[in-house]
Amino acid sequence: MTFDDVIESRVRALAEALVREGLEAVSIADGEIEIELSRSPSEPNASPASATEDAAGPGPEYDVLTSDVVGRVRFLRPPVTAGSAIGADRELAFVEALGIRNPVRSRVAGRVAVVYVEEGQAVDYGAPLFAIDRSRV
Amino acid sequence: MFRKVLVANRGEIALRIIRACRELGVATVAIFSEADRAALHVRLADEAFCVGPGPAARSYLNIPNIISTALITGADALHPGYGFLAENARFAQICADHGITFIGPSPRVIDQMGDKANAKQVMQSAGVPTIPGSGILATLEEAKASAKSIGYPVLLKATAGGGGRGMRAVESERDLGSAFASAQSEAEANFQDGRLYMEKLIVRPRHIEVQILADTRGEVVHLGERDCSIQKPSHQKLIEETPAPNLPADVREELCSVAVRAGQACGYTNAGTLEFLVAAGEIYFMEMNTRIQVEHPVTELIYGVDLVKEQIRIAFGEPLGFGQADLSPHGHAIECRINAEDPERDFAPDAGRVTAVELPGGPGIRVDTHLFAGLSIPPYYDSLLAKIVAVGRTRASALSRMERALAETRIEGVKTTAAICRRILEDARFQEGGVPIDFLDEAFLRGHVLTEA
Repeated sequence: MTFDDVIESRVRALAEALVREGLEAVSIADGEIEIELSRSPSEPNASPASATEDAAGPGPEYDVLTSDVVGRVRFLRPPVTAGSAIGADRELAFVEALGIRNPVRSRVAGRVAVVYVEEGQAVDYGAPLFAIDRSRV
Repeated sequence: MFRKVLVANRGEIALRIIRACRELGVATVAIFSEADRAALHVRLADEAFCVGPGPAARSYLNIPNIISTALITGADALHPGYGFLAENARFAQICADHGITFIGPSPRVIDQMGDKANAKQVMQSAGVPTIPGSGILATLEEAKASAKSIGYPVLLKATAGGGGRGMRAVESERDLGSAFASAQSEAEANFQDGRLYMEKLIVRPRHIEVQILADTRGEVVHLGERDCSIQKPSHQKLIEETPAPNLPADVREELCSVAVRAGQACGYTNAGTLEFLVAAGEIYFMEMNTRIQVEHPVTELIYGVDLVKEQIRIAFGEPLGFGQADLSPHGHAIECRINAEDPERDFAPDAGRVTAVELPGGPGIRVDTHLFAGLSIPPYYDSLLAKIVAVGRTRASALSRMERALAETRIEGVKTTAAICRRILEDARFQEGGVPIDFLDEAFLRGHVLTEA
């Protein structure tokens, strides 16, 4: 993970804490970084998942596929790219871990909106791989 | 030296390992669960990989994801810390199979010492005193004969037992008949197995353990003892110190020489600890811990040896840079474990957000902790928040430093064991030194904990 990833993960953790504790604003500061988050009390359904998706760009119509394992991303040939139309339960790539192929399958039909990873990239648990726009079947 | 060490742990011990690696010029990879994204070890390591969700079984015990992290990052060694996978022989073997050096003893030794009956046998054949016991007792007559040779008082135990069921303390032969019958029927009722055996009952023992270091060339040294008699009613340690106060010199000598002999006998490598019960001048081996222990800092402070760095050097194959004659302790050190626990509710773990943290400092104080204000304590793991360690030229000066350090400590947002540690330090019997493992019994807790509020 890069430093930016760490920052992002801390923002995510903080956002989760914000929602869990029912707070309106929270800030932390430790040496190099200072993070301040706040939410409008009129958003009763703010959830960790939507906070993550907002940060990544896509809206609630997107299904974000994440990695269950620590490994390296391998695309199938030809590789899916942003804009590809796909059906549900389509294998988009696999994450290779300890010599085992762990397939990444779409859960909904739609269009690939975001490809977060590159061929051969190391990913950890929960790393976003693809966002599928299910509103554009 | 290793290029990169994967730190397969969390909390203060992960930081401890990262610090040792940094001082050795070795890169580090942290692993973390989703509940630990904001943890300090994630930020202090050179790289960090999430290996699973909060529950330990799916993250810190997730062997495939941990091994995969090591392979992807090119880590050539793995430090397991304590707990989690530290004493898992199968995991140590899997590391070896993937070309990753497990920083600890060999899988064979971990396996051998992990099985209590097996460990006892190995120790007995090395001439290490163990708790005298019998084989399975088929009849009352056999029990009488065994008790006579072991010596009263004895403890009858069910071979299938657990949780104190099928267990009876027997003071004299007069009580043996009825105890044997009731233990047998209780064991039959609870475990469908009425077989009993017998052990000597060690009355009000102290828990004293010996630290050893062993390199891959067969050199074994000890680094003295630690007195860990201040334990919660669950037998988890709360305060540890070294040297053990009021321990006769000949008993200390025997403990240390026996520990070295035991290490040599089992072909031990790396850091290890032999735990003993000590009562009436006699020592009894209990178990061997094949890992670094929580309370290792007290030993480091009086011996001037960095045990975690030594573990890494030994695992790399370096010889110990010192012999027994080079090791001499200076002063006295004591550790208090500050846990997120409520002493008023049987030390039940407390989780939540730590809102304020003020940690002690100044002369003779070392604090090993992963705490910072704003940290959320996840409910999934060990409740240790901080280890406050005090060192002084004498026990009295170490204790007064500890009292001062605990008075400076402020942790808000979760219940902690800081106050109960202060009460213990104020106790006259503790100050005198040499209390047994039942010191922190219900009477003490009733007298101190409940009157506090």
